[in-house]
Amino acid sequence: MAARETNPNFMNGVPELLILRLLQQGEMYGYEIVHAIRSRTDTVITLGEGVVYPVLHGLEGDGALRSRRKTVNGRSRIYYSITRAGSHRLADLSESWTSRAAAIQKMLTGGQHAEVIR
Amino acid sequence: MPKSSDELRERLLRAGVAPRHVRRYLTELADHLADMRAEEELAGRSRAEAECAALIRLGGIDDLAKAMIERPQFQSWCARAPWATFGLAPLFLLAGAYVVALFILWSGWRMFLPGADTPFVRIHGFAIFYFGVGKLIYFGAPILIGWGVGLIAARQRFKEVWPIVGFVLIALIGGTTQVHASRSAVPGGFGHISMDFTLGPTVSGVPYGLLHGLLIFTLMVLPFIIWRIQNPSSSSAFD
Repeated sequence: MAARETNPNFMNGVPELLILRLLQQGEMYGYEIVHAIRSRTDTVITLGEGVVYPVLHGLEGDGALRSRRKTVNGRSRIYYSITRAGSHRLADLSESWTSRAAAIQKMLTGGQHAEVIR
Repeated sequence: MPKSSDELRERLLRAGVAPRHVRRYLTELADHLADMRAEEELAGRSRAEAECAALIRLGGIDDLAKAMIERPQFQSWCARAPWATFGLAPLFLLAGAYVVALFILWSGWRMFLPGADTPFVRIHGFAIFYFGVGKLIYFGAPILIGWGVGLIAARQRFKEVWPIVGFVLIALIGGTTQVHASRSAVPGGFGHISMDFTLGPTVSGVPYGLLHGLLIFTLMVLPFIIWRIQNPSSSSAFD
């Protein structure tokens, strides 16, 4: 019997998706990213402030992001920007999440069930 | 966060996270903490309260460490394959150093001693420097490579087992290697240089190769022992 593929943890890929989406609009450093995610999701999604860096480093290691050190107002920070590979990854993740969100929405609104009854 | 930073560093290194990833992570966390502290102070908190609030927002050491440790891509090579780092790599490096040293011996023989039956004769002038470089590589390589092994082990907080495997291998090879050179071995007239591994003649009943190996081992291991004495708690689970 073939093994069935199970859904991974629903939150898998969410931090990556949000970070890539933000960085598509311009380069940012870690603190900015955490705050931007919090404010743009109306604090519905809050990433652990410190644990955002392993995600950023992981994306950079995969070639989805690049980083550079930049001094702003006398403080040296590491800024991240998206690469071409990162844009492709963002497109894949967006598509995957859009279809998942649509499926969940359909379940919540009872779409399939209503069709059967009708 | 100097104290918690030290604790996080030790935990990550012992878990096998590569030192360069640890260094960068801690640098960015320190920057992030400073930004949060400034934000909290702007919100009207005292410096001590701001520091405390910022540390809470940053996350606990367990969470911060877990976020790095659970990503295999941050693991160092010596954590992933200690047998390669402490076993194979030193051997390849030593072999490379010996190739260079033997090339210097062979080329110096051709350049400075074209008529001599062996390069192991009295030399003068620039030849002393030229052959000296070869000797330095030949005798210095095992010790330098051993120090490299010790340094890698110390940076990654390894316990003694794997580094000692590396030290023993290097000392055995460094101690028992012997170089032979003779012109008569090749009919064409070019000198012939060969290398073999032997314990050699005995000195006071002890083979010379063993004594030489012991000397190399002692010189290699000395800095690592000093580091271990100075950092008795620095050890990991990789042994």
